[in-house]
Amino acid sequence: MPDGGLASVLDVKDLKTVFRTRRGEVHAVNNVTFHLEAGELLGVVGESGSGKSVTMMSLIGLLPQPPAEIRGGTVRFEGKDLLACTEEELRAVRGARIGFVFQDPMTSLNPVFPVGFQIVEPLRKHMKLSKSKARDRAVELLELVGIPDARRRLDDYPHQFSGGMRQRVMIAIALACDPQVLIADEPTTALDVTIQAQILELIKELRHKLGMAIVWITHDLGVIAGIADRVMVMYGGQVVEQGPVKELFANPKHPYTRMLLETVPSVRGDRVERLRVIQGQPPILAQDPDSCPFRPRCPFAFERCARQNPPRLPVGPGHDAACFWNVDTGAPRDV
Amino acid sequence: MFDFDSARKLVEVDDLKMYFPIHTGLLRRHTGNVKAVDGVSFDIFEGETLGLVGESGCGKSTCGRTVLRLYEPTSGQIRLDGRGLAWGNPVARRVRNRSDRVGNWAAGLVFTIGAGLLVGALVRGSVTGGWAIAGLVALVIALTLAALYGAAYVSRRMLMSSEGVSDKDFAPSEGALRRLRPTMQMVFQDPQASLNPRMTLAGIIGEPLSEHSGMSAKEREARIYELMDAVGLNRDFANRYPHEFSGGQRQRIGIARALALNPKFIVCDEPIAALDVSIQAQVVNLLEDLQERLGLTYLFISHDLSMVRHIADRVAVMYLGKVVELAPRDVLYDEPLHPYTRALLSAVPEPDPAAHETAQREVLQGDVPSPANPPKGCNFCTRCPQVMDICRRIDPEYLEVQPRRFVACHLHYEHQETAEATAA
Repeated sequence: MPDGGLASVLDVKDLKTVFRTRRGEVHAVNNVTFHLEAGELLGVVGESGSGKSVTMMSLIGLLPQPPAEIRGGTVRFEGKDLLACTEEELRAVRGARIGFVFQDPMTSLNPVFPVGFQIVEPLRKHMKLSKSKARDRAVELLELVGIPDARRRLDDYPHQFSGGMRQRVMIAIALACDPQVLIADEPTTALDVTIQAQILELIKELRHKLGMAIVWITHDLGVIAGIADRVMVMYGGQVVEQGPVKELFANPKHPYTRMLLETVPSVRGDRVERLRVIQGQPPILAQDPDSCPFRPRCPFAFERCARQNPPRLPVGPGHDAACFWNVDTGAPRDV
Repeated sequence: MFDFDSARKLVEVDDLKMYFPIHTGLLRRHTGNVKAVDGVSFDIFEGETLGLVGESGCGKSTCGRTVLRLYEPTSGQIRLDGRGLAWGNPVARRVRNRSDRVGNWAAGLVFTIGAGLLVGALVRGSVTGGWAIAGLVALVIALTLAALYGAAYVSRRMLMSSEGVSDKDFAPSEGALRRLRPTMQMVFQDPQASLNPRMTLAGIIGEPLSEHSGMSAKEREARIYELMDAVGLNRDFANRYPHEFSGGQRQRIGIARALALNPKFIVCDEPIAALDVSIQAQVVNLLEDLQERLGLTYLFISHDLSMVRHIADRVAVMYLGKVVELAPRDVLYDEPLHPYTRALLSAVPEPDPAAHETAQREVLQGDVPSPANPPKGCNFCTRCPQVMDICRRIDPEYLEVQPRRFVACHLHYEHQETAEATAA
């Protein structure tokens, strides 16, 4: 198990979220444990339905309960357990100490208010700034995220901005109160590659300027490779592998990570004649949480994988994988 | 690698334009055009895959749809297997409009005279008896119709010989187009939205068969099963509904439907964009297998440059309604000529952390201009890192600068001119 070092700003242990549906319980987040160090960028990769967004939403109480139910775990942030906090206390954390950027900037900005109003709102609520001070700070923020002619654009409405500019506004709102942690949920997925490149450059620059820790959720392995310090791979509501970015891309230890890296064609490297395929379909989360979620698609699956859900085993310095099989030696690990 | 020398051109597109009118104001007057496709030319060889890449809003999907004649193009020519799908010649369109007008006038004239004479005769009382009146009314109607079609036909023939237009320059009629549809099919991006949720899988795959072929129910069923086998769908699923399938399986249904009528040419419009990474490879491999087995020709539209590199033989890059570069796959990816292609390729993040440290990123500034109001000169001049004075004045021509390499950029245009000058 990875240990939360002294410098970790966010420490999540054994987080378990289930959705109650008419057809039974869906284990969306199953014993997820991770930590986030000060100033680091943690990339979270996974396919749709792997539980990456639900994990982040459960830890700051953004999931509607019911149907969701947080079954257990602790989330330590600034000396508090966020899961034990009241709604009031959480509201003081959300948007102030932990900032958010979501995938689609058009649906997360309110179309009937000017963007200036939407940036000023958290400043007035959380930092109790006066109207004019908040407006000055809003201009500063828009300039920080690279929006030209910032003071005039404060009174523009979201539809008057392009997709990339809207995402910059979202980042400005998330950064408004100097958060310690920024959670970015697929922030560049809806954008074109050339605009995505602009946003990635901006985030790299802002990290150095502001020194906050970032959780970057995406399904794009290329984005993760370019921006993250550490990567966490999720599959079927669980963390299947975690490690430093270079180590994980060079030596993936979980069969899923390994196969996923092989299925993605490259723009610059060697061109393969035929793409490697992961057979089968992504898991339905209603399955039994006591077996390995990747088992039905895994070429190495053996009898034990059906009996027991593999714990995360250390496979290298700061690198762990939840698999009973040693992909390098081709033999089961003895645990 | 695809053998271009022995290949036959299956699809020929020449200076295709597709404008969508903008109507504004109280009177909804026509005040401008969204130039979604603005003068695009390319050929697709039989059995090859042409990749069409570009960012959202560059007109790549509109281009694909126009080639299949799902839209009526503003101008330009499209030929599939030698047969024209659009107006081969703007003159032909004018001839058709004028001859239709002549027909309308002639019919109007004949009807007015005939009806006048008939009413006159009735008033004077020279015609009596129900049968006689009915006979005369029928005669007037018959003469009017004969004038409508006869005059249009005669004037069309006369205009055609005087303007020098032949029959094949005319766009096919709706009926003729419908008979051509089986040879050209489409796979859509969103398998959820392009499958009717109230039809079973067998109904969806069988619909083109009952529309376009005279198969008996038994033959149709056999063909549906054959198609399901071909795309890897279990035969037991034939009576299920689309919502019971995952995204990848739904895309297989869409592919089976496109294959039903044995098409030669399939436009794949972002067929993998809505799918998970681990499923994309399955669908791409299926498309490749089918191409090999059935000798299909694809126009593969995508914004995923790495997938296009995998599947395409040649690649066309679009920007703001125009193809800026078209070249065989390997040379395009290895040494792109157009600054936009270069920037686009360098913006794709590579799934390799080591590559990111050494990568020379060319980050483009600004956004894509509106296709309703493209900049003067080259469309890319507002963002181009190598913009020159001439780019803001003159739109560069789309030229073959090296064998099979087309590019629309002044950098290479001038290069060619100087090369010619030195050669001379």
